[in-house]
Amino acid sequence: MSRITKEIARISAGFNTLAGAAVVLMMLLTCADVLLRLLRHPIPGTYELVGYLGTVIISFSLGLTSLSKGHIAVEILVEKLPRRAQAGIEAGTSLISAALFGLIAWQSLVYATDMRQSGEVSVTLTMPIYPFIYGIAAGSALMVLILLLDSLRSAIRTVKP
Amino acid sequence: MTPVVAGLWGFVLLVVLMFARLPVGFVMAIVGFLGFGLLSSWDASLNLLARDFFSIFSSYNLTVVPLFVLMGQIAHHTGISSRLFNTANKFLGHLPGGLAIATIGACAGFSAICGSTSATAATMASVALPEMKKYRYDPALATGVVAAGGSLGILIPPSTIFIIYGIMTEQSVGKLFMAGVLPGVLLTVLFIVTIVVWIRLRPGLCIPAPKASLQERIASLTGVIETFILFVLVMGGLFVGLFTPTEAAAIGACGTILIALIGGHLTWKGFASSLNETTRISCMILVIVAGATVFGHFLAVTTIPAGIGAWVAGLKWPSYLIIGMVILVYLLLGCLMDSLAMIMLTIPVFYPVVTTLGYDPIWFGVVIVLVAEMGVITPPVGINVYVVAGVARDVPLQVIFRGAVNMMIALFFTALLLITFPQIALFLPGLMK
Repeated sequence: MSRITKEIARISAGFNTLAGAAVVLMMLLTCADVLLRLLRHPIPGTYELVGYLGTVIISFSLGLTSLSKGHIAVEILVEKLPRRAQAGIEAGTSLISAALFGLIAWQSLVYATDMRQSGEVSVTLTMPIYPFIYGIAAGSALMVLILLLDSLRSAIRTVKP
Repeated sequence: MTPVVAGLWGFVLLVVLMFARLPVGFVMAIVGFLGFGLLSSWDASLNLLARDFFSIFSSYNLTVVPLFVLMGQIAHHTGISSRLFNTANKFLGHLPGGLAIATIGACAGFSAICGSTSATAATMASVALPEMKKYRYDPALATGVVAAGGSLGILIPPSTIFIIYGIMTEQSVGKLFMAGVLPGVLLTVLFIVTIVVWIRLRPGLCIPAPKASLQERIASLTGVIETFILFVLVMGGLFVGLFTPTEAAAIGACGTILIALIGGHLTWKGFASSLNETTRISCMILVIVAGATVFGHFLAVTTIPAGIGAWVAGLKWPSYLIIGMVILVYLLLGCLMDSLAMIMLTIPVFYPVVTTLGYDPIWFGVVIVLVAEMGVITPPVGINVYVVAGVARDVPLQVIFRGAVNMMIALFFTALLLITFPQIALFLPGLMK
């Protein structure tokens, strides 16, 4: 299991680097657009591109955020319980979360495929939209792996503390 | 099952899952998905899930979040906070409680380029606490001041809470930012007054730092220039309508990086950890927003928000009483959960109530930010207190909470003044086109 854990951590870090690059690109693109607009030559399609870069940032940082327990939760009740009960609860909640991201991954795939088949493109750049939705599916799929592994680990800790 | 009953069960499930430590954003998405499926159809609900997540993640208006977070992170990693504190210290440090006053001043300055309470508290804690320890400041005073001063991060623009509130309620983020300026100044002054009174009542809490010479003071002023330039560039551009909030944030982030590069303060490591923090915080925020959007679609079909709005409007209570109740609910919730999550959860219900009563949405945004500020320093879940505790490892949590709760007096007074004189918030946005 530790090999899988390591592998998932590596993929999450790689995804996150992509998200970080998207942040930098978003900043540079927006600044360039503002500057060139002053010279009356704005970059066409900046508005769309920045939005899609936003998708890249969030979908590809889901994994590392989850690994570093970055998603805000209400700790106040569970942290007062004995360790074993905590592990038991976490096994359940991680499983529920995995189910949620499973649904999101699956539905994003369906949505993206619909978009691809209907040939939906963005307004200004007439750029296909579906790859970004596949991005959400990829990020969510990684979440499923992370959360299932979390659930498994907690379940083991519940049975053999 | 009638929609209203389904909605009530939805709230029950929401509370149960949330207290089971399931991340707040996930919980809202799960309950929203189940409820919407139950009330309309499962196919529609599955569709909704994918569409809501995509539309939130790809929303241009929300891209302002990662960019402003990046700006604050770069500022944090390149020592802007320590230069601000140094300037404030040179001018105020020798007064009784002067380092605490300087800390508040530096917090206000840092808030002008950072939009989060925890980032402001974290950066000021690492800068100001060692100084205050040197002059034997009482730990409750020192840590409480940093935790409370950090809360200015969301009142003085830029501010993540204003951004999210503005997008949820379709109000101008630029106007909300401007609305935060004067209350931010007022709160800074009242924080300082609180410290002065505190020191008067208990003079043994600290020893004064040495007085700086005039030359030293003038030399230290360079520490303020960078922050001043950034603030004027970003907020000025927004104020006159030169650019959108996203553009303002991009220019602010780029400007902060350039200034740090020119000053030789930006290392590759600092840049990389700024980016890492940026993606983590943005992801956390946007997942909550996406979850709240799914949940909001469910709430809308339950008809509960409209029902509550109509019910409150029919109550014939004086409106300040209802506003008071709303604030009370926020205070209680703020003790239990993260302020952003609390706001996302309650806006669909409270916003219609408040606007039905004829209150200004911009003004209400400022009120919400003030109660969120109280939320970040009240026990048991005060994020800023935990952040400060992470830096001041020798100070017990309850001591920090004790100090921070003293500082809450200033927050209460600001809220009171804001409710009595809404113009404090509404004057500046009124000047915008």
